[in-house]
Amino acid sequence: MKRQQIKFVFLLPAVIWVLAFTIFPLAYAIRLSFFSYHLGRGETFVGGRNFVQAFTYPRFWGSIRITFSIVLIAVVLEIVLGLLFAWHFNREMRGDKVFRALITLPLFATPVAVGYLGITLFYETSGPINMFLSFFHIHIPWLSHPFWAKISIILLDTWIWTPFCFLVFLSGFRAISEEIYEAAYLDTNSELQIFRYISLPLLLPILGIVIALRLVEGLKIFDLPYTLLLGGPGTSTEVYPLLVYRTALKNFDFGSASALSLVLLGIVMSIVIIFFKQLRRVYE
Amino acid sequence: MRKIITGLSMLCIMGLIATMAWGYEFTPEQTEMIIKSGVTPEREAYLKTKPYEGVTIKIAALAGNLEQSVKMFIPAWEEQTGGEVRVIPIPYAEFFEKFWIDCLTGTGNYDAVLGEAFWMGQLAHNNYIQPIDEFMKDPRFPYWDPAADPPSLKKLRMWEGKQYEIPWDCDGQVLYYRKDVLDNPDYKKGFWEKYGYEMPVPPSTWDELRDIAEFFNGWDWDNDGKVDYGMAMHLKVGGQGMFHFESMSAPYLISPVNPDLWWFDPETMKPLITSPGHVEALKMLVALRECGPRAALSWSLGEAWDCFLRGDAVLCFSWGDLGSLAQDETRSVVKGKLGVSPLPGTLKSYDPVSGKWIIFKRPNIVGNTTGGSWSPVISAFSKHPAATYDFCSFMSTEAAEFWNACSGWTGVDPGRTFTIIEPYGPAKIEDYVATGYDASDAKEYTSAYYKNFYNPVMYPYLRVPGAAEYNVALDVHLSEAVTGTCSPEEALKRTYDEWERITERLGRDEQIKLYQTAIGYSK
Repeated sequence: MKRQQIKFVFLLPAVIWVLAFTIFPLAYAIRLSFFSYHLGRGETFVGGRNFVQAFTYPRFWGSIRITFSIVLIAVVLEIVLGLLFAWHFNREMRGDKVFRALITLPLFATPVAVGYLGITLFYETSGPINMFLSFFHIHIPWLSHPFWAKISIILLDTWIWTPFCFLVFLSGFRAISEEIYEAAYLDTNSELQIFRYISLPLLLPILGIVIALRLVEGLKIFDLPYTLLLGGPGTSTEVYPLLVYRTALKNFDFGSASALSLVLLGIVMSIVIIFFKQLRRVYE
Repeated sequence: MRKIITGLSMLCIMGLIATMAWGYEFTPEQTEMIIKSGVTPEREAYLKTKPYEGVTIKIAALAGNLEQSVKMFIPAWEEQTGGEVRVIPIPYAEFFEKFWIDCLTGTGNYDAVLGEAFWMGQLAHNNYIQPIDEFMKDPRFPYWDPAADPPSLKKLRMWEGKQYEIPWDCDGQVLYYRKDVLDNPDYKKGFWEKYGYEMPVPPSTWDELRDIAEFFNGWDWDNDGKVDYGMAMHLKVGGQGMFHFESMSAPYLISPVNPDLWWFDPETMKPLITSPGHVEALKMLVALRECGPRAALSWSLGEAWDCFLRGDAVLCFSWGDLGSLAQDETRSVVKGKLGVSPLPGTLKSYDPVSGKWIIFKRPNIVGNTTGGSWSPVISAFSKHPAATYDFCSFMSTEAAEFWNACSGWTGVDPGRTFTIIEPYGPAKIEDYVATGYDASDAKEYTSAYYKNFYNPVMYPYLRVPGAAEYNVALDVHLSEAVTGTCSPEEALKRTYDEWERITERLGRDEQIKLYQTAIGYSK
């Protein structure tokens, strides 16, 4: 085999992988979205009907609204807390390794398990959180009120994902050269000013990546609302992926589910493209 | 110190192993009784041949209690027949989906499934399950009496004149109440002063029941130092709350004048769910919700049952499991204090045909078979249908069923005539007392079930394809109404729209045909 040709042999596994696990499913989903396909009932071409039905389905818009409200609040909390923890731990202190290890623990918990744990934690009549709050004569209907149900999901999501933001930001802080800080300390002693004018601008590319990753991951949120509340009360925590799941695997309506999935793909891609364009502009 | 820690650790590990190894087992007497039940001379001869030597059958069962109950019968059957049984537990959330996919792909992973009666239309119509009429005639199999099923339940086990289900669980909902509390003269007096009429025990209309629930809600009527409630309900999405709405709303529409129409207009498949009868019923459900803890909105079945069993609620309407569980004194404080009656009725009922309310002088009581009535059906792809039928029939004989009916934890409820106490059935109070029942509770319990299942007017059970989808849509929107997210009218309108979408998707003409078959409708 010629030297020029051998590179194709090495590329082949990657090409097969991408074709089999990315391009084919995507192409198949696109095709399916134009068919009425019910498992066991065959398929019929319906043109854009699945998309029209999706956009005219009240629960479609409801789930979009719910997903965005949960994800945006959770991501902001995770970023802010992660940044604060990273800033705090970016120094030599006694027991910092233990604290760091403790802070990162939730990251290794399975969201499904956390969801079920949440049922116990937020249990309204005798759960530990409400038992604690009862000392202050506070009772919160965590799981039975549409507003508080969303809050409970946001809290659990924040608990799981803040460590991820913390780890990435901490490595970002560590990557900033000491010399820059030393030069800055000649001008000011204010930690806040150094954070605002030195650390934050230098962390901007990492911040952008973390926000993008968390948004993309967050918009796929499923485990927590499913295990904790099954989308209830009513439809108050029925996030978009849960709606897709119900359409596909409860109603066996794969055509509509494919159309819904493609809409989500479009939304996520638009967010990522717009976000990175803005970020690049700011950074440049 | 190290020794103490090591010792404690060893104890924990041993405890864990013991817990894991622990399981329910029949006593030798029970085993013998079950083995002898349903045996004919032909079967005796058949068993001598060890007919299923080398045969393994696979049964899909709901993970948890039902799965455990099936496992109880395996050792005895295997020893008798030489066959082998494997139970495949599947969680509720994916139970139907797994069996349905197995049918669609023709894989035949399961010889039988202990399914819910509302799957019947979807499975039988598509010939994914086998009729068992021929097996039933064969005396080599364990005998169970088909006539022991009340007609209301027998109907659920059949499709187009053929029997598919081997009777097992008998689901229906009745009202449980605290007889000791409702009979208290001081409380009766207080009720009279507040509502201006004597407290009816048991209540015969939903209005009366709401008054009682309201009266007992929010104060410590059992003097245990805790605030108690009127009603224990569970309304979590996915927690089967819609079944309770269906049972309670039945008399608001169903009556001798309108025995069938609750779900759809059988000629157009247009939903009837926005009718004034449904709206009135949902308003009642919202009112009842306010007579219990708010946390009930996030409760599943077990939590509502526990609320009643702990003695924290005076009323609860639910399935037969609760009556048996009440006898378990490790979990219940209400043993011997139980009142059980068929669900209350209404003094008016909406007739969707004439569009008018019908007024009754006496309460319009409607029986129900609400629930899954979990029973085995044999897959069309089973490689060993005879062995499968044999095992499932073994679990359905009189002795096996009686044991199940008396054991609350199994989830298999009474209903077949031989589980009903005199004068309604042949069972004796002593039979129940011998299993740990309180005599009064047993009598109340089985007579209420007899009256429910043999009521001349029954709530129509939905068995068309998509029944689960229609139920899920109702469940979600009921939750919106009871949490105050929208009004009852709006919640039912949303349900109407969802049902229309489902019908359109599944094919309206096909659905009309199957719905008419399911309810036995003819012009």
